[in-house]
Amino acid sequence: MSDPVDDEADEGAGGAEGGAPPPGDDRAALIEAAAGAYRARDPLGAIRSHPAWHDLDEAGREEAFERARSLRALEAALDPDGLSATARAVLARIRAARDG
Amino acid sequence: MIDLDDHLPAIAAGDAAAFGRWLAGAEPRLRLSLRAYAARVDTEAALQEALLRVWQVAPRHAPDGRPNSLLRLGIRVARNVAIDELRRCRVAPMDDAGLEQALAAAEAGPPRAGPDPLLRRVIEECRDKLPGKPAEALAARLAAAGAEPDEELAARLGMRTNTFLQNFTRARKLLAECLERRNVDLGAELA
Repeated sequence: MSDPVDDEADEGAGGAEGGAPPPGDDRAALIEAAAGAYRARDPLGAIRSHPAWHDLDEAGREEAFERARSLRALEAALDPDGLSATARAVLARIRAARDG
Repeated sequence: MIDLDDHLPAIAAGDAAAFGRWLAGAEPRLRLSLRAYAARVDTEAALQEALLRVWQVAPRHAPDGRPNSLLRLGIRVARNVAIDELRRCRVAPMDDAGLEQALAAAEAGPPRAGPDPLLRRVIEECRDKLPGKPAEALAARLAAAGAEPDEELAARLGMRTNTFLQNFTRARKLLAECLERRNVDLGAELA
């Protein structure tokens, strides 16, 4: 299999919202980040959009959507209860709210 | 036909584990119902918000006698969350011909069946072949289960965030190649 990536890559993926698409590597990182299941909450408790999603153009956002679909399916397939990271995150929030 | 409403009485009684079983079957359909919004709304955030609202309204939900009524309600809730987000961002609402299609699909075909132990074993065998850093990145994301940002996962592994994401991408591609060699089509088998 291919070599892993060493920790010498550039930091700071990100194009400006509404600007030109970010260069290839940065764009790929933004899509991978936006396809993850983690979402922060705002001070009122609402779930916030991922910062990387805002930095993507429309085509990149659609790629992130499809990537998320396959990742959630992979996570669910690996989970003994068939739960994706999205489902686990939602259940964690429900249980945290219930348990105070 | 799988009817996820079988879990409804327990969900209405506040059983989070039952809601988990409902989620395992319902999530792919709900996510797919948001595809038309993907270019304008962060559908992952919208979906999570919608799922929390479904949990909140489930005790008051009255089934209509047809299968998967809570799933159909969820599709409407998810769409409303997406539209609210469009309005909040002052983006013009869009023509949403997909809603009726999504609702019809929820009635026509079965939601995702339960876990497949054989498929899990094949994926695990491919996962075992991943090189160190990609394997670490994949394991970190899986273990976090959407509860921690990539920045924290990367820091714990001693990687920069971009490096972490590159290793995760490598893991995902290697896994897909391995599964393809074993005639497991991620798109078809895991959809």
